[in-house]
Amino acid sequence: MPLQLSLAWFAWRNLGRRRLRTFLTLCGIGMAIGAFVALVGFSRSFEHEWMRIYESSGIDIAVVQKTFLNTSVDESTGAKLTALPDVAQASPMILNMMDLTPEVNAIAYGWPAKSFEFSSLTFKSGRKFRDGQPELILGDLLASSLGKKVGDTLDIQGSSFTITGIYHGGSALEAGAAIFPLDQLQQISSLQGKVTAFHVRLKPAPRNQSPHEYMQAAQAEIESALPGLRAVPASERASNNQLVLLAHAAAWGTSSIALIIGILGIANTMAMSVFERTREIGILRALGWKSWRVLLLIQMEAVALGFAGGILGIGFGWAALRLLSTLPQTASIVSADFSPLLLLEALGVAILAGLLAGAIPAWRGAHLSPVEALRHD
Amino acid sequence: MTSQLPQSSVPNGLSIPDTVPIIEARSLCKSYDEGRVEALRGVDITIAAGEFVAISGPSGSGKSTLLQLIGGLDSPTSGQVLFRNSPLGAGRASTSASTPAIDLDTYRAQHVGFVFQGFYLIPTLRAIENVQVPMLASGSNSRDRARRAEALLVEMGLESRIGHYPNELSGGERQRVAIARALANDPSILLADEPTGNLDSVNSARILEMLIGLQKRRGMTLIVVTHENEIAEAAPRHIRIRDGRVESSQVETGRTESGAGL
Repeated sequence: MPLQLSLAWFAWRNLGRRRLRTFLTLCGIGMAIGAFVALVGFSRSFEHEWMRIYESSGIDIAVVQKTFLNTSVDESTGAKLTALPDVAQASPMILNMMDLTPEVNAIAYGWPAKSFEFSSLTFKSGRKFRDGQPELILGDLLASSLGKKVGDTLDIQGSSFTITGIYHGGSALEAGAAIFPLDQLQQISSLQGKVTAFHVRLKPAPRNQSPHEYMQAAQAEIESALPGLRAVPASERASNNQLVLLAHAAAWGTSSIALIIGILGIANTMAMSVFERTREIGILRALGWKSWRVLLLIQMEAVALGFAGGILGIGFGWAALRLLSTLPQTASIVSADFSPLLLLEALGVAILAGLLAGAIPAWRGAHLSPVEALRHD
Repeated sequence: MTSQLPQSSVPNGLSIPDTVPIIEARSLCKSYDEGRVEALRGVDITIAAGEFVAISGPSGSGKSTLLQLIGGLDSPTSGQVLFRNSPLGAGRASTSASTPAIDLDTYRAQHVGFVFQGFYLIPTLRAIENVQVPMLASGSNSRDRARRAEALLVEMGLESRIGHYPNELSGGERQRVAIARALANDPSILLADEPTGNLDSVNSARILEMLIGLQKRRGMTLIVVTHENEIAEAAPRHIRIRDGRVESSQVETGRTESGAGL
């Protein structure tokens, strides 16, 4: 069978005309998509890890003030909270970021020793701390990056804390964290009597109420009993807290800039290609090709660049996420899990980038006058 | 031997009343640069189906512009080109209700084949792929396109060059690929703009012989713009253009009956 020509093959051969330029353009869009995959993957991973904390410890509701990291909820509120009919358990907690050493900054939690949240932790060595003692426990990831084991001490803000246990957490955020007795963290943070939030476990839902209705009723009950505080469902707390929103905004903002640069790269390549092939486009028009077919050919080339760049970018992004998940500075908030949805989104974004980048060159090429194009040198 | 037609009897052109014309140019004018450059100044030509016509003239005389208008590559500033009594160009007034205007893209795709002086093959495609390029606009399936392209290249004597890229072919071979490409959609009119301009004398003679053979075998209308006497003399009808007007129209004695039907 003789060689068959299709429009797609024609477009592909055109891309091979200037191989170095095509390769460099692919690298450009590949880096942009790589940045998208790595940054958006990073922020989603961050959100996912938050969700795992709440799921693994069975938290239904977080009672907080309006600002996420504002540790100003009165600790005495706990008594009112546990007295409410729908509340099974309420545990106060502090969430903070802390320099454990000059090099390592980690999430620090303050929990009372009787907190139900210990149920999500598995101790690999040692035991949990005691209230009122200068002790702490470390997530295995953090212990590894600090090179610490049970019995070692950490000097934090002028106090020496003994490591009583190394645990494995249900989430990378816990595995990379340090957990202090609540009173000790209050003391070194000058936050006596204050907590960041109360994590609440609700009693089982009555048979005549759906879980959603029960959750709404419990929220209303808590907010009514504790004016000025908000009762936030755990899932909303995980995905809609200021840290996660900030991570998403930073990821999309930075990715958008990278994508704009990538799109401009493809647009430049396509514009150059159309300019160089002006007479060839005139030939196609002379041979009876309609404008839309010329437009389709050029757009196919642009989309092929976007698609191939997307594949390359997914590779870059995957490698970046793998790297981030192993670095001590980021391992605590990034897992190397790769969502298939993110891959599809990256490919979609890459193809859209190709379409956008090819639009103007394709329109220009398609609307060239055949005679003017044939005269072009 | 040729005879000079009296200009007074056929003002500014040639009419062929006793055959169905395939192309009629009526008062064709084309100007550029907002009217400052007049390439054609009222050309009237009628060409019958199956004719072989050579158009010659000095540089800038308007012969290539005339070919472009006949080929539907451009639209006239005023006047009309009719293909089988239908005006070319969407939106143009039809001569009758039964003959709607023909879209230029459709006209070029279905009825016209072009051969250029510079060959203009696509450098990234093999010979057989180049011949298939016009067929992508015709909607036939890829297997049929490839088979037809192969048959055309064999007809051009290029069976051993089917898989070669243009830069692997000689000038004569490239022009033969270009002719095969022009025949891809089985046009009724073949338009050639200086088809031997870039070739040596041996290849020029071979291309000319090939074009004439195709015209006779297929019964196509062949219109060649040329400045070479050999081609002009080989054509049964020779139109000279000067300053945008038809200067003269010669019909070879004894051959007019089969061609123009004068």
